[in-house]
Amino acid sequence: MLATRIALLLPLLVLAAGCTILAPVEPPAVAASVELDAVPFFPQDRYQCGPAALATVLAATGLPVSAEALVDDVYLPARRGSLQAELAAAARRHGRVPFPVAAGEEALVAELLAGHPVLVLQNLGLDSLPRWHYAVVVGYRADEEHWVLRSGRERRRRESLRAFRRHWQGADRWGLVVLPPGQLPAVADARDVVDALAAAEPVLGAEAILPGWTQASARWPGDADLAFAAANGLRAAGRAQAALRHYRRAIANDPQHAAARNNLADLLLAYDCVGQARAALAPALAAVDDDDPLRLVLAATALEIEQAVSTACRLENTQEEMQP
Amino acid sequence: MLSRTLVLFQLLVFLAATAAMPARAAMVSTGEYLAAARAEQSLGAAGAALARADVRAQLTALGVDPQDARARVAALSPAELAQLNTRLDELPAGSSVLGLIGAVFVVLLILELVGVTDVFTGV
Repeated sequence: MLATRIALLLPLLVLAAGCTILAPVEPPAVAASVELDAVPFFPQDRYQCGPAALATVLAATGLPVSAEALVDDVYLPARRGSLQAELAAAARRHGRVPFPVAAGEEALVAELLAGHPVLVLQNLGLDSLPRWHYAVVVGYRADEEHWVLRSGRERRRRESLRAFRRHWQGADRWGLVVLPPGQLPAVADARDVVDALAAAEPVLGAEAILPGWTQASARWPGDADLAFAAANGLRAAGRAQAALRHYRRAIANDPQHAAARNNLADLLLAYDCVGQARAALAPALAAVDDDDPLRLVLAATALEIEQAVSTACRLENTQEEMQP
Repeated sequence: MLSRTLVLFQLLVFLAATAAMPARAAMVSTGEYLAAARAEQSLGAAGAALARADVRAQLTALGVDPQDARARVAALSPAELAQLNTRLDELPAGSSVLGLIGAVFVVLLILELVGVTDVFTGV
């Protein structure tokens, strides 16, 4: 009876799924083959692919961790699984910076070529009946047209281009590149990097994240927010002259950047450059809206400038605009 | 004149509120700036504190030790916190559990044989 039902169902299913089954799969537009053999493997216990996958990428950065020790960091007993946001948070708690992987399989290959394994979410089931699973991409073989993953209890799970694409697209191509502070992903956009470093800063500390800010600011010199964040880090580290340059660059990139103008004015004021501080702040004060959350900070800075006694400025090149 | 008094009053309130903060009152931290710039995904300071307490309670209800829940929530970014606070129940929890029964199992078995899914070959 069951056999007849299956026999009846099969043609229907093949028909329904026909387009996905028969369409040729375009490989990623990268001819390279790469496999990170040294990435360790943590075979997962039942349900616990989250701790195992996280342990894999943490250990790949040189951290001595075990999957068991991460269970209390990411596992949700009643859900019998782990949430994506909690994997990122746990990476921060272990002193690492998680970045979202850029969309696309080419970006995955680029990360592998840079030596970065990528933790990915996969949907091994259907859109309507999902079965979520975390694995770590450690290799791509252009010649044999498959991906290599640390997954479940398989140290070298090989997935065809078609299977991997379906699994990964089913999970909105979500993935994490987990790196030591001071390193950046091979492929990223500036906004994602700003958010990833800013999320890590309160957990890892400003000192640990500063090299990330300065490197990112050098890699995306036209990004005002990266220059602003780098300047804040440099100021906190006591590097006033370098902070001044980065605030100037943030403002050159975005003359409307009120927070950069405010902090630049505050820095100049701290080094007795009263006139320059007033000049730096003026455009922000003139442009600020009544409902701007920065309005009160700007007013406080303005008040400090008004109360300051003008003496000799102790910074160099205060007027110089740093070109983006 | 009235608006000037108002600004001064707000300024005093602001200075009093930020007096306990370690950073200089007149500096804007990167986190504060992004909270304002990414307003669509930010909750504000009071909202974030409430969201942290709420997500912590949700994690505890899902079986997490209360001490662990506190530490786990503390490392979430504002955007992650907002996401978990509003839709924790709908978010995928990667697990590879096969919590399926009966007819669903049969359907999956067929789909597996046809090659649409990989439930049984994946661990």
